[in-house]
Amino acid sequence: MLFRYFIFCAIMYYAATVNVAAQCNATMSGKVIDEHDQQPLPYASIYIKELGKGATSDSLGNYSIHNLCDGIYTIICSHLGCEDVEKTVTISGNTLQDFFPEHHSEMLQETVVSVEILKPKLIMPTQSFGLISGKDLEATRGKTLGEALKNVVGVNSLQTGTSVSKPIIHGMHSNRVLILNNGVRQEGQQWGSEHAPEIDPFVAGSLIVVKGANLLRYGSDAIGGVIIVDPSPISDSTGIGGQVNIVGFSNGRQGVLSAILEGRFKKLPALSWRVQGTGKMAGNTKTPDYYMKNTGVNELNFSTEANYKTGKWGATIFYSRFNTKLGIFSASHIGNLTDLQVAFESPVPLEMADFTYKIDRPSQHITHDLVKASAYVNAGNSGYFRFVIARQNNIRSEFDKDAPLNDSLAALNKPALLFKINTYTTDLSWDKYFGNDISLSIGINGITQGNQYEGRFFIPNFRGYGTGAFAVARRDGDKLQVEAGIRYDLKWMTVYKWENNVIISPEYQFNNYAASVGGAYRITSKLDFKLNAATAWRPPAVNELFSDGLHHGAASVEVGDRTLKPERAYNFTASLNLERTKKFSGEVSAYYNYISDFIYLAPVQPATLTIKGAFPTFHYKQTNATFKGVDAGFDWNIFKGLHLISKGSILRARNVSADEYLVMMPADRFENTLNYKFADSKKVKATYVALTMLNVLKQWRVPANSDYVAPPEGYTLFGIDAGTEFPMGKQKLSVGVGVNNLLNRVYRDYLNRFRYFSDEAGINVSIRLNYSF
Amino acid sequence: MKTTKSITELLFTLLIISTLITACGEENPPPVNEEELITTLTLTFTDSANTGNVITATFRDTDGDGGNAPTQFDTIRLEAGKTYFTEITLLDESKTPAENISDEVLEEANEHQFFFHASGANLTITYEDLDTNSPPLPIGLSTKWVTGAASNGTTQVILKHQPDVKNGTEAPGETDVELDFITEIQ
Repeated sequence: MLFRYFIFCAIMYYAATVNVAAQCNATMSGKVIDEHDQQPLPYASIYIKELGKGATSDSLGNYSIHNLCDGIYTIICSHLGCEDVEKTVTISGNTLQDFFPEHHSEMLQETVVSVEILKPKLIMPTQSFGLISGKDLEATRGKTLGEALKNVVGVNSLQTGTSVSKPIIHGMHSNRVLILNNGVRQEGQQWGSEHAPEIDPFVAGSLIVVKGANLLRYGSDAIGGVIIVDPSPISDSTGIGGQVNIVGFSNGRQGVLSAILEGRFKKLPALSWRVQGTGKMAGNTKTPDYYMKNTGVNELNFSTEANYKTGKWGATIFYSRFNTKLGIFSASHIGNLTDLQVAFESPVPLEMADFTYKIDRPSQHITHDLVKASAYVNAGNSGYFRFVIARQNNIRSEFDKDAPLNDSLAALNKPALLFKINTYTTDLSWDKYFGNDISLSIGINGITQGNQYEGRFFIPNFRGYGTGAFAVARRDGDKLQVEAGIRYDLKWMTVYKWENNVIISPEYQFNNYAASVGGAYRITSKLDFKLNAATAWRPPAVNELFSDGLHHGAASVEVGDRTLKPERAYNFTASLNLERTKKFSGEVSAYYNYISDFIYLAPVQPATLTIKGAFPTFHYKQTNATFKGVDAGFDWNIFKGLHLISKGSILRARNVSADEYLVMMPADRFENTLNYKFADSKKVKATYVALTMLNVLKQWRVPANSDYVAPPEGYTLFGIDAGTEFPMGKQKLSVGVGVNNLLNRVYRDYLNRFRYFSDEAGINVSIRLNYSF
Repeated sequence: MKTTKSITELLFTLLIISTLITACGEENPPPVNEEELITTLTLTFTDSANTGNVITATFRDTDGDGGNAPTQFDTIRLEAGKTYFTEITLLDESKTPAENISDEVLEEANEHQFFFHASGANLTITYEDLDTNSPPLPIGLSTKWVTGAASNGTTQVILKHQPDVKNGTEAPGETDVELDFITEIQ
């Protein structure tokens, strides 16, 4: 019986690996260490007040408590001869929490607890990743997903103005980065550099970025990395709860309102539900000197879910709708290269406007619907089964700056381009523990996708099918954790396209393997070393094969190549984590990515002659490329509540075959934050003030003749953020204030496609209110 | 074990069913160039001294930007020391029948203007039409070309779309046409 119970625990424990903490199976673990001599304290008691359960530390001071639901708990750590340590801990996924009880002394200082390091350790014990949750996530509320993810070292964003922001991991984006939204592969028109992820960041309870090509469960094509957006699990207390977020930004006079209502039935606690919605409205963005015409955003998002969960089985149904309308900066729409040159040389944009919320042409209107049904069965000794089926429907309409000249055509007000893509995904996995420390996960995925367009041709209609199978094995030792996995994928695609007055339907088939092996070794109790090697592949995407036409706004002709081969990545990452000391924690990781047959846009001669003049022409080509870089970050507790948090990322990306740098790669970036955390009192908690300095250097490592103008200069920005919490019994009110671009600096960023036309946004003051009940 | 087997069977069935769901419509892409294009520009020169003496010069790219290269790009050949009244015709020949775009431009004359730059060729070009802005601004569908001594060069013909920003200058707006005609004055 005891054995069965253990298996159950192990499986529930492991389930967190499948769906990051979406069930009540988080584990809090850590060490109990003597405040004075830093020796581990055996037989200390760690007790969760709210749940009435706890654990005792072992002979090495280690403890762990399993099967916890995410949430905020009061933990009491007590040890013979020590003053009790009472600590509020936010559990989000698997959480590391050390305690430093102090032997009783006359001079009782405030109890000191190490910096909370929240780590979903079980997802990828050997990999390099970044996590945004809790207070850090709260500080990003109201921003786009791409902006929020920039807090992870090594992550940048590819901007189109201020409202479109795409994450870049280690220099790679779009088809090379996979976004897992609530456990489902996000599928839209992600090939486009001006197509932002269609996700409401308020749905997220945590954001995780897995860097490198290691996550085999969801596909082989994410050779840059994976972004995991997961809602927080519904509270396991019965009754109704929720939260309201209100955010206001001075720039663009932006207002965001988001609310969550959730509950669990008293008579049927296995059944829980949630309703969530977000509304956002912003007008024209202001740079230090002028408003950017037509840069407003309207967003209205909605999601709902219902869960039934028991120890034996469970099922979830989830629906979300993302709906945005965003203006595209008027002065960025150009007819030809002369226009581009004139726009760039003009000190102010050629079209000016005052503030307005009105969204005019050019604009984008996107809706993304996701319906997901999932189920798990805990079959005891036979393992843990999980099944997910999801449908996504993405409709993207793009309106040109000018309506057609023909009045009857103009009256239809049809978008110049319309894409409709429908995607079904299915995942089936089986997880099983063998003995104490060996686990195995096997699964298959299926995807089917249909794309249709209307209006101007840019990418053709297509129908795609894919299926893949994976197996991942892991051994969790005290000192050493090892993981190895392999995956095989088959993909088919048929393209339907008019050519010389007949519909042609070329067929593509790709199949190949991906593999990953990694280890994490605990050198000392405070120092981990991780090493990971992976190989993955990505078939050419439909735009790389078939795009053919003028890219408005970029003033270039892009031509696909129907004979492209898949690209293959070999990824090596080594990282050193110094953590869980009271004064200092940090991580340094170095990566080396070799991509053979890397697909990129290469300039070709001659330029394409059109009635609008000659356009520079780019063809999709393949080369061998290397991406080498270092990400580093540390948190140094200088004294009392004062912390210095430093992050830096450096990337060198080269086209090996042509012996030159790759275009549009992030510049070196350094961020230093001084954060003062005030001591908690009965009335206020988690109070902090943070001053941030961001340095982005000039990106001079660019290939010759690949751009119209030289990259902009580097820049330094300052920002301030402050926040506090007012606990009110079971309710809590959090208040935050932030200022971005504090000195209202005029600057341009290399990764913003509008750098030819406009400065970046000026000073932006924000106020955040979060009320949870 | 039996339950496990039935669970597995059920899940596999669901998986197979769900991957076999087929949408429809991808097989029928929309016709090419449904949108409005300017494929053809023709300059028609009429000798002011002899209206029977008509010269034309045409640029033609019937499949629009990119794709196949332009099929016609004439040289402008005018006689020295003459005055020509010139009309511009814009067509969308990707449609059948071809659509006359210059009529649409005339309809929205307050948002459009042609600009001409002769270089090398001994040529003076002046506007012969005005829109209804106040004060009225030139359009450029009708112009007067006065040729000087024999010379060779190029003439640039530009059409700018300038909704709300038309001010008689070339800078604002979006370029709809920009063509460099080789020009010979004989």
